[in-house]
Amino acid sequence: MSEGADSGTRDNASEAGPWADALDELARRRAFAHGLGGAAAVEKHHAQGRLTIRERIDALADAGSFSEVGSLTGQGLYEGDRLVGVTPAPYVMGLAQVDGRPVAIGGEDFTVRGGTSWSGDRKKGGQGGFVEDLAHQYRIPLVNLIDGAGGSVTSITRRGHSVFPGVHGFERSVQLLGEVPVVCAVMGTAAGGPAGRAILSHWSVMVKDTSHVFAAGPPVVERSLGQKITKEELGGPAMAVATAGTIDNVAADERQCFEMIRRYLSYMPRNVWELPPLGERSDPPARTEEELRRIVPENRRRPYDMRRVIRLIADTESTFEIQPTFGKAVITCLARMHGHVVGFIANNPMVNGGAMDVKAARKQTHFIELCDTFHIPLVFLVDVPGFLVGREAEAAATLREGMRSVYVGLQATVPIFSVVIRKCYGMAGMGTTDKNGLDLKIAWPSAEWGSLPIEGGVAAAFRREIEAAPDPKAREAEIEAGLRANASPFRTAEAFGVEEIIDPRETRLILCRFIEAARGRMQTTLGPKPKAGVRP
Amino acid sequence: MPTTQLLSEVTGSVWEISAQPGQQLAPGDTVMVLESMKMEIPVLCEDGGTVVEILVAQGDAVAEGQPLVMVAS
Repeated sequence: MSEGADSGTRDNASEAGPWADALDELARRRAFAHGLGGAAAVEKHHAQGRLTIRERIDALADAGSFSEVGSLTGQGLYEGDRLVGVTPAPYVMGLAQVDGRPVAIGGEDFTVRGGTSWSGDRKKGGQGGFVEDLAHQYRIPLVNLIDGAGGSVTSITRRGHSVFPGVHGFERSVQLLGEVPVVCAVMGTAAGGPAGRAILSHWSVMVKDTSHVFAAGPPVVERSLGQKITKEELGGPAMAVATAGTIDNVAADERQCFEMIRRYLSYMPRNVWELPPLGERSDPPARTEEELRRIVPENRRRPYDMRRVIRLIADTESTFEIQPTFGKAVITCLARMHGHVVGFIANNPMVNGGAMDVKAARKQTHFIELCDTFHIPLVFLVDVPGFLVGREAEAAATLREGMRSVYVGLQATVPIFSVVIRKCYGMAGMGTTDKNGLDLKIAWPSAEWGSLPIEGGVAAAFRREIEAAPDPKAREAEIEAGLRANASPFRTAEAFGVEEIIDPRETRLILCRFIEAARGRMQTTLGPKPKAGVRP
Repeated sequence: MPTTQLLSEVTGSVWEISAQPGQQLAPGDTVMVLESMKMEIPVLCEDGGTVVEILVAQGDAVAEGQPLVMVAS
């Protein structure tokens, strides 16, 4: 730095150079920020098997890529005019890179007041705040590393009044869901606002043993309902992920959680104005798998491993399953086909024979919206006998949730490819097709379809004839056999009722070609997808 | 020796039990077949182990999440 001619500057400069005192103060203030809630609080946090927010950001982001914003925010402690300490704002955030791509990233610092922010601290993030503005303004993904228990009634004393709900609202969080990928990871115990924030995401994940999520924790539940329940029972992964589907995936530990976040983001475009990135294209589209020819048993009562079907068709090692333990009658998977990101929706014949229940419907609805929003083509691998039937299924509103899924599918404008592997029946079957688009339906020779399965429909449609027969059982079987002969998929193909029947080994090649061809069209329809209408 | 329970993934009935107490299972072996929605759903022992106890009988109705077999690993 050149010496200024201004004698005043020269007088203030110490031997260490100009601005030395100010730079020294900056360094001291930064050191306070890096000290988080103090050594004892950090040690206690580590002892619970948890990383600090700064360690979490370092573990997730590319090395050295984090540019912190708001590192000096906090409550300064002064003796006269002299700064003796700073309690940092319990939220750390900024700009970072994940696999070379920019993200807005932030999270609560549990070691300071359990992550509860006060007044000016709130401007950094947690609910709205700078970190969400950064994602919005720069159109880059947002990663929330959530570790906070929400508001505290003690704020009433501090403020002298109680706050109206929404003073730190979710407006920006909601807006982001139509603009950029939003990932929420529940890293500790999230209740109240932070728990709600976790739900306002495209994909969420929590950590086994060390994270919990609920609207309110055990003390509030006991006070309100007299219900005694542990934190793990109320909001551990068995409840939040597998039973309720409140959170999408679970990681074995924090390290795996960050790997999963990186993996999820690798499928996503930076924002809805861009296409997802093309991945590696080393797996040839013409790769044929003999196993596909044999995988569907000829005995219609025997199920098969649908996840295996996906893995055989998609690019090697390219699949990432969303919600693997919730709504298991359907499998939802991000994957690549010759480098193009696609979303697989596959019925799982191992669960309910593939019949769509209320949880599977909810999962399918979300996944269709996710893929449609980020211009990710959908591939349905169809084996669905219909909506799940029966008293429990009706009580759970399977019909309404199922039709909501059909409705959302019909609103989607992303290309949809249907591969009918076995059963395709009824409204649930219709929901697997691209009725508003090209409606390309490709069937395997094992495919069968109809408005309802023959075995269920015969008894109802031919009731009088069956009852009048000398041997009703034999007559029913006879009618069924007659109908089944006409139900050959080849007869439907004759009528162009299904566009193509293929050898299962050809599935990968034909899908890769059509997906590649559709990319150009998608480039012309980028941007947000505002949707009118009322979901059923 | 830690034991784990194999749970039913579906609501249905027990169609056929193929494993017996004391039997050694390789990872992925089928221990029984359930019938659900007119499909025969195999119950697999993903990690392998030794069958300690079969908790259901052929023909029993089973609910989703119900323990079916105790396996020692």
